[in-house]
Amino acid sequence: MDIQNTQSQMRKGVLEFCILSIIRQGEVYPSDLVERMKSANLHILEGTLYPLLTRLKNAGLLTYRWVESNSGPPRKYFVMTDKGLEFYSELERTWQELADAVHTLTQPAATATSDENQSQP
Amino acid sequence: MKKVININFQGRVIPIEESAYDMLKQYVESLRRFFADEEGRDEIINDIEGRIAELFGESLKKGSTCITDDDVNHIIASMGRPEDFEGDEGKVQSQLGGDGQKQQSTGGRNYESATDAPPRGRLYRDENDKILGGVCSGLASYLRVDPTILRLVFALIVFAGGTGFLLYILLWIILPSKPLTNTSSTKRLYRNPDEKVIAGVASGIASYFDIAVWIPRLIFALPLISGIILSIFRNMMWDGDNFPGIVFGSFGGTLFVVYAVLWAVIPEAKSASEKLEMRGEKVDLNTIKNTIQEDLEGFKTRAEKWGGEVKDRAQQFGQEFGQTFSHKGQQFGSEVGGAARRGGSRILRAFGIMFKAFFLFIAGVIAFALLVTLLAFMAAGVGVFPLKDFFLEGFWQNFFAWSTLLLFLAVPVVAFITWIIRRIMGVKSGNRYLGFTFGGLWFIGLICAGILAVSIARNFDTRARDKQEYSIVQPATGKIIVKVPDSKVQVYGRGHWFKMDGIMNMTDDSLFLNNVKLQITKSTDSVFHISAFKYSNGSNEAVALNNVKEISYGINQQDSTIWLDRGFSLKRGTRFRNQSVAVTIQVPVGKRIVITRSVNRSLNYFHFNTGRNDWDFEEEDWSTHYDSWSSDVEYIMTPGGLERVDKKDKHTDNDDEEDQSNAVEKFKKSKEELQKEADKKQKELDNLKKELEKPIDSSKYHYKKVTSYNLAPEIIKPSETVKTNDSDENGSVLDYSRFMQMVF
Repeated sequence: MDIQNTQSQMRKGVLEFCILSIIRQGEVYPSDLVERMKSANLHILEGTLYPLLTRLKNAGLLTYRWVESNSGPPRKYFVMTDKGLEFYSELERTWQELADAVHTLTQPAATATSDENQSQP
Repeated sequence: MKKVININFQGRVIPIEESAYDMLKQYVESLRRFFADEEGRDEIINDIEGRIAELFGESLKKGSTCITDDDVNHIIASMGRPEDFEGDEGKVQSQLGGDGQKQQSTGGRNYESATDAPPRGRLYRDENDKILGGVCSGLASYLRVDPTILRLVFALIVFAGGTGFLLYILLWIILPSKPLTNTSSTKRLYRNPDEKVIAGVASGIASYFDIAVWIPRLIFALPLISGIILSIFRNMMWDGDNFPGIVFGSFGGTLFVVYAVLWAVIPEAKSASEKLEMRGEKVDLNTIKNTIQEDLEGFKTRAEKWGGEVKDRAQQFGQEFGQTFSHKGQQFGSEVGGAARRGGSRILRAFGIMFKAFFLFIAGVIAFALLVTLLAFMAAGVGVFPLKDFFLEGFWQNFFAWSTLLLFLAVPVVAFITWIIRRIMGVKSGNRYLGFTFGGLWFIGLICAGILAVSIARNFDTRARDKQEYSIVQPATGKIIVKVPDSKVQVYGRGHWFKMDGIMNMTDDSLFLNNVKLQITKSTDSVFHISAFKYSNGSNEAVALNNVKEISYGINQQDSTIWLDRGFSLKRGTRFRNQSVAVTIQVPVGKRIVITRSVNRSLNYFHFNTGRNDWDFEEEDWSTHYDSWSSDVEYIMTPGGLERVDKKDKHTDNDDEEDQSNAVEKFKKSKEELQKEADKKQKELDNLKKELEKPIDSSKYHYKKVTSYNLAPEIIKPSETVKTNDSDENGSVLDYSRFMQMVF
């Protein structure tokens, strides 16, 4: 088993959710998004981001507007749509369930290895 | 110092080092390839390029005059290389449609389920993937099968009966062509060029069916090997009659053809993606990278293995020829293939591949033929084995004979079989010196064979002769009948393919040769004499004479019948040294002799000319020796020589004599009949003559007067000549033909 693969899979699972949550907080352009994620200690490559954003946009979850910049080419600023908002709520619920489940399951392992049969309330 | 160029990048002019530009171009290309199937590909590329342009702008603003290699490298690192991108499985979800599930496919097998979405579509010919006209490819993509399998089916149909070919042409004409994208990534049947013995057919098949590589190889080579082994066993164990006859067998032959067909039809997995498809793994950049790495590693080990194998091959003498041939065939095939590819025509390429298959097939056949020859020699050795003791004398000869057998004959066979098995298993040659060993052993065997030959030849150096007189009772009838009895000894030999019954028979303790010659000569006195000259070779005179004395040949007399022995026997101590017996019967003048058929049938005289001829020994006049006669015909000895009693021509060949005498009888009869006719005609002519003396009435008679007059007097002559009954055949034949000409 390649642990890197598994780790990568775990990350990929939450990537969309994280991106959507950032965009939900306000319009943002891609490289800024990368910075925000980096500061949250979730590193992502720009090359991964762009396709993902495009897909989300094509699915109607995001939309963008061009903003001219004086120091370079115009930038795309992404903002969430209503559909995206719904999508996000669903994902949020899913994430919550998932987080709880994982938390529950990992709880006994966190404490001492004494009683495996003991079920946690 | 580097060249700097200006590029128009995202609407801005950017000065950039040329090498940096190349890197940038490559990177963008790789992105393009990576996102080739992506729906929003252009947009993505655009976004990425835009970001790059932004970064370029920042860099230039910081004060550098142009974009350098370092800048580009830095940017690429921060953007990430395509293979490092995450979320590429998400590619499949171009159509999200509310379905937020990601399909995680871990192996190639599950991948098919992800491509359920594309609709069935219409039946086209595939422009992009075609060998001849893309018929099979289009059909295959319509049916969702591997086009190679379909091609194989088509090939089978074409070979089985010409209708498949017509069907193909028909489809070619009817179906419209369209460049289909390769929508399905099912596991495809390719030839594996990395793991190939001849052309990777077997290993490609192995990959497709997920079985070990040596299994299909074994299936292909099985008839060949089993044929060889079986035929060897057959000769050792029981008296098989058809030795090299069915070594190959028709089954093995068809397998060769099948292999060649597969070779031509199954495409070779050249690119990394094709190789992945062959194994049925997911084709994406990760797996492609792994494949390429594997290839590089595998290449190194394969090069080593190949080097070792080459050494082995160079040592194996018998297969050398085959190898150079196959090399040339391969070179030729690849050259042809290359030329065809350059020419750009798919049909030529198919032909090139078929040529290559054919050449290698021929090379294989030649190598195999050489092998069969070797095996035949070996079997010959086995068959002659029982006679060994009669040839070989002494310790050294035996020793050399054994070593010849083992080293000269057995070693190449063993080596060849080993080589085949090793190639099939794909086993690396563990022992580098194996080839040397085999070659050396074989060479020693060659030397032994030479020594053996010389040593045996020396045993035949001298030829000696001894004369033996037989005392006989003079027959009362003055006639001798010569016969040879049927074989009293029931012997059968092993190894019937040599058919030695006519020459010799063998029991356990003696060898029985019928190398006996009979000759008739005129007796110097008035009585019959029978004597036998016995000949033998030997390494020197004493040995030769000794060998001669060992020959025992006898005759029996029963009134006027002389029974000649069928052959002479050699005790089990004596060796075969070209012993022969010449029986001479001296017939006095006036006496008769009949030689029956049994003599010719049973006494087979053969003689190895070893430099000295038998008649060097003879003092008598050989011109009066007769060694050919007609069987069952009575001869009488006259002062002029043997003559037939029935006064037939004795110079012509025996068997025709009887037919000729019949013919003579017949022709005599016909002569008599014709004579009667001639008399009749003569009477008619006389009548006519009388009539002609009457006044001519041209309305009645229609024959020419002149010829009739010429005929009449001459016709009397043949009747006179016919009456004389002499035995001069030639003369009467001439008259007869003249006679025929005249009458008709």
